[in-house]
Amino acid sequence: MHQTILLQPSYILHTRPYRDTSLLLEIFSRDHGRINAVARSARGPKSRFKGMLQQFVPLVLSWQGRTELMNLTVAESYGISHYLTGEALLCGIYLNELLMRLLHRHDAHPGLFAAYQQALIGLQQQQQQITLRLFEKRLLIELGYALQLDKDASTGMDIMLEQYYYFDPIQGLISCANHASKKNIFRGESLLALHYEELTDREHLRDAKRLLRLAVMSLLDNKPLKSRELFLYQLFPLKKQE
Amino acid sequence: MIFSPLIDQLIMALRCLPGVGPKSAQRMAFHILERERSSGLNLAKILETAIMQVKHCQRCRTLSETTLCNLCANLNRDQSLLCIVETPADVIAIEQTGSYRGYYFVLLGRLSPLDGIGPEELGLDQLLKNLTEHPPQEVILATNPTVEGEATAHYLAEIIKQRNINTSRIAHGVPLGGELEFVDGNTLARALTERSEV
Ligand SMILES: [Zn+2]
Repeated sequence: MHQTILLQPSYILHTRPYRDTSLLLEIFSRDHGRINAVARSARGPKSRFKGMLQQFVPLVLSWQGRTELMNLTVAESYGISHYLTGEALLCGIYLNELLMRLLHRHDAHPGLFAAYQQALIGLQQQQQQITLRLFEKRLLIELGYALQLDKDASTGMDIMLEQYYYFDPIQGLISCANHASKKNIFRGESLLALHYEELTDREHLRDAKRLLRLAVMSLLDNKPLKSRELFLYQLFPLKKQE
Repeated sequence: MIFSPLIDQLIMALRCLPGVGPKSAQRMAFHILERERSSGLNLAKILETAIMQVKHCQRCRTLSETTLCNLCANLNRDQSLLCIVETPADVIAIEQTGSYRGYYFVLLGRLSPLDGIGPEELGLDQLLKNLTEHPPQEVILATNPTVEGEATAHYLAEIIKQRNINTSRIAHGVPLGGELEFVDGNTLARALTERSEV
């Protein structure tokens, strides 16, 4: 099946050198989902793609091909690029890794595309934590694993502010008696804060991070994320040496 | 198979060179066999010697057949400056500008978590050792202006700052002699954000 796609709003998630002068691209497109493409001669000195095929830059791309590996024909930037630096940049790489690991090729997720765009703006405004949490929540919804944050999964009753709940990645949130500081037990108040996306309290934000990590990691079969290792390295540079 | 096995092997072997496809490999093979036999032999010999003897400089990690490369062994360079680059080719590029007199450190890559390249692969323990033994006043981060290059610069800046050494990042912007109209939007946006006072 030959496919020709014209001027599709897209982001580049990752690039890798390919052959002598070409680039292998992981693309997240609005209407065609995740695509693999080759940009021929993109690394050559006179490339028509020069400086263009960068992550976090809104692009319109055209491609064609009949196999899994498409051929990039046109790339133009449009709109304003999200200029990420420092920690925001590392967070952006984390978002890209999530998309590469969790999206199937050619599955369209226009809603998630909009959420990604929104998240890049949030990162640029240095609102790392809230931005990452809302994106993770949206990602779970888009992939069909939405968290039911306002109902007890075993009784169907409303989540209560003062009650504690146990999180099971398959069943959901189940009320429990004690709240021994276990990593999968959450206070109702924090769950509702995430449900209504009102994450102004630091404790709520910390709990949201803990809950979403459990949910996301379970989708990833608990295989660690490479971009997260970079954060750890940064906190403890070269722990071998110390 | 059109050619005899040895010629075929030679053509295949030449294709490991960058920019050499099947056609040019074939042209090279015939050129050597028909016209340049003695230079060809010389090439084979020097190739073998270079591969056996060229290793990495113990201090800066650039390619060198001596324990310390020429640059590191030169005591007349500016001890107060250290420039960190991704590849040995970047060292040459900066040297050719003639505008830098300090020392170098070559990462031989960049952080790329999604490709499994972390700080250990970049010889950062050697870098930290150099910073202790020959502490510069300023470290210039000259990694490429790509996402991975930026992530690397950010990471290095964080750990070098902990040692109370000034760090700077090379400027990025509009190419000299270029016209703004033809500069891509990202480069221009960046040049504006990082504008300097005149
Ligand atoms: Zn050296």
